[in-house]
Amino acid sequence: MKRPPQKKILPVLFIFYIFIFSLGFKKTGPDNGRKEGPFPLDPKIQILNQGQPFQIKSPSYAAHEVLVKFKPFLSEKMINATIAAYRSQKLKRILHLDVYQIQIPEKASVKEMIYALKLNPYVMYAEPNYIAHIEKTPNDTLFKYQYALSNSGQEVGPAGSPRGTSSADIKATAAWEETMGAEETLIAIIDTGADLKHADLQNKIKSSGHDFVNNDDDATDDHGHGTFVAGIAAADTNNNEGIAGVAWNCKILPVKVMGKDGQGYYSWIIDGISWAVANGARVINLSLGGEFDSEALKAAVRYASEKNVVVAAAAGNDGGAVLYPAAYDDYCLAVAATDYNDHWADWSNSGPQVDVAAPGVEVLSTVPTWYFEPKYLPYGFASGTSAATPHVAGLAALIRTIKPWLSAGEIMNIIRFSADDINSSEHPGKDGFIGYGRINMEKALVPIKIKK
Amino acid sequence: MKRKQIALFLLFFLTFLARLPFAQSLERNRSFLTSLKPGFGFEYFSRAISWDDKKYTSKLKAVLAYLDAKYEIQEGFSASLLLGYCSSNWNGLVFRKLPFSTDYEAGRKGGILIGAEIRKSLPAIGNFEIEGYAQFVTCLGLKKEWDLESLNTEGKVKGTPYWMRAAIGPIVTYTGFKDFYPYIYPSLNMLWGKYKMEQTVQDLIGKEDKMISGKSVFSLALGSLYEITDQWSVKGEISLLPYKAGLDIGLRAEAFYSF
Repeated sequence: MKRPPQKKILPVLFIFYIFIFSLGFKKTGPDNGRKEGPFPLDPKIQILNQGQPFQIKSPSYAAHEVLVKFKPFLSEKMINATIAAYRSQKLKRILHLDVYQIQIPEKASVKEMIYALKLNPYVMYAEPNYIAHIEKTPNDTLFKYQYALSNSGQEVGPAGSPRGTSSADIKATAAWEETMGAEETLIAIIDTGADLKHADLQNKIKSSGHDFVNNDDDATDDHGHGTFVAGIAAADTNNNEGIAGVAWNCKILPVKVMGKDGQGYYSWIIDGISWAVANGARVINLSLGGEFDSEALKAAVRYASEKNVVVAAAAGNDGGAVLYPAAYDDYCLAVAATDYNDHWADWSNSGPQVDVAAPGVEVLSTVPTWYFEPKYLPYGFASGTSAATPHVAGLAALIRTIKPWLSAGEIMNIIRFSADDINSSEHPGKDGFIGYGRINMEKALVPIKIKK
Repeated sequence: MKRKQIALFLLFFLTFLARLPFAQSLERNRSFLTSLKPGFGFEYFSRAISWDDKKYTSKLKAVLAYLDAKYEIQEGFSASLLLGYCSSNWNGLVFRKLPFSTDYEAGRKGGILIGAEIRKSLPAIGNFEIEGYAQFVTCLGLKKEWDLESLNTEGKVKGTPYWMRAAIGPIVTYTGFKDFYPYIYPSLNMLWGKYKMEQTVQDLIGKEDKMISGKSVFSLALGSLYEITDQWSVKGEISLLPYKAGLDIGLRAEAFYSF
């Protein structure tokens, strides 16, 4: 393996330093140079650093330990003597690798010790004893069923349910390392309303919203669909209860535009979009649609887009053409559904307007507390592009949170171009089934490494 | 507070320099400084840099190789021009203002090095010769392009970096040995620069100018000059640059030929 460049320079530095001082000895005589062997820690360095660790960010390694590998020709006795010369103590020798875990003096920092060790020609490498961690995983009790967010090949529902394919998910846990959203980023759930008192939603709901069906300011859900959608996008997360939302910290703005029968007039939807934009929504989720093209509906989503509000809309579940407003390609992200094996759901509507896909089969989310009998938890599994769409809305909200300067169109493109083309073997590139692919939150949010 | 201290130090130092006769000659027991001295040099340094309003920190590691033309304008006053190649490692810079955040881990980037030095002799104290010394160096990195391979469409980033360094301070040289002149050089040592990154992913276009600045502003260099022959002399120097949470290092070697 090629050694990192900085490791190459240290022996050069050492030789150079010895060379300079040896010149002095030869010419001048006075013994004011350093002697061979390990350098003792210079107390001045400690004073300069005031005992502070060299690491700028919060420590991510053991406070008083370093890992050292010595040159292979060094005997055990020599190694022990070298460690002692640094006023350190051997804690452990890791078998087969000959890496030494050593405890450094109380007053020395890890970085100081590594700096000193690296100057020693007998040391191959020295590094902190770093602390690894698992990816950010919420403590929500039902998170293990949310294959859409993190799929380890687990059963996708209660015992006996099918198992998913590992990594057939939207890479939420990796993305949450970068951002978990912010309260200021409002996601409007324009739907049947939301259960405002649901334990996993009540702290996430910005206001009681607006009900365009009954024309009041109480968007309480009397159907169940909106509550389900809201939970996927932004359920209360890491609260030791229920499920995790895609956008941990973003808030929900419930807007009721569909009645208890799950139907609503276009006028209500148009009103709802307009109201949501006016009331601070940065992302709009439309897990709804109709077969009919409408200039007014198109104007509503265009208005939202022009106001820099990202609109995610469901493609539809009847296997037909993409519904409206999802079909308004310039202003909406049309979302198709995939399953726990990263396969396109065959009932998911298709067409050239489909932009991306997200898990929409057997998705777990919140349901209103009145929905099931009291002996059951207010959570349930459901399928549909309605379930896929809030995954995309949640991602849009996270992007909006960390890059508020981007336009709606730019955020839509980030979501498109970062998607995984999971059906590339049959349909390489953008296609009418999953568009650019199943969304990948990690690629959309986590800095992409550029390498040589 | 730090800026005020720096400004006071600079003011004091420049005033001190200005008060001395321009052509003041020093007694010399060596002849390495004649009218023209071509030379070459190498330098390595590792400097902690901060960026995004000092929110983040990474290391800038650079290797410099240069030709040096030193000209003695008057007795005790010389100027040098430096021209050469620089290779800088900017690993750890993260560009979060681009549409797709980008983490630079592409290692070293080559560039052109341009610099200048001024050296002015001050009164000697016994065997200690004192000179005022100022150096300015800039490394103009060449533009380079990388593919963003993880996306489902073609995407590219183009990077163009540069950094500049200015140092000023007194060099105190001990002249009591024959042919060998150890010296100490405390200086104000400022480093700053910019990494311009452009991203294009279809019609997604973004640009981020990341301003960087060195965390250390003070350097203590220890070095020695050795006259091998009447014509040839070599110089080696190691620099320590402390900052609040760490210590940067620098290393320099030069060789000169005197006509």
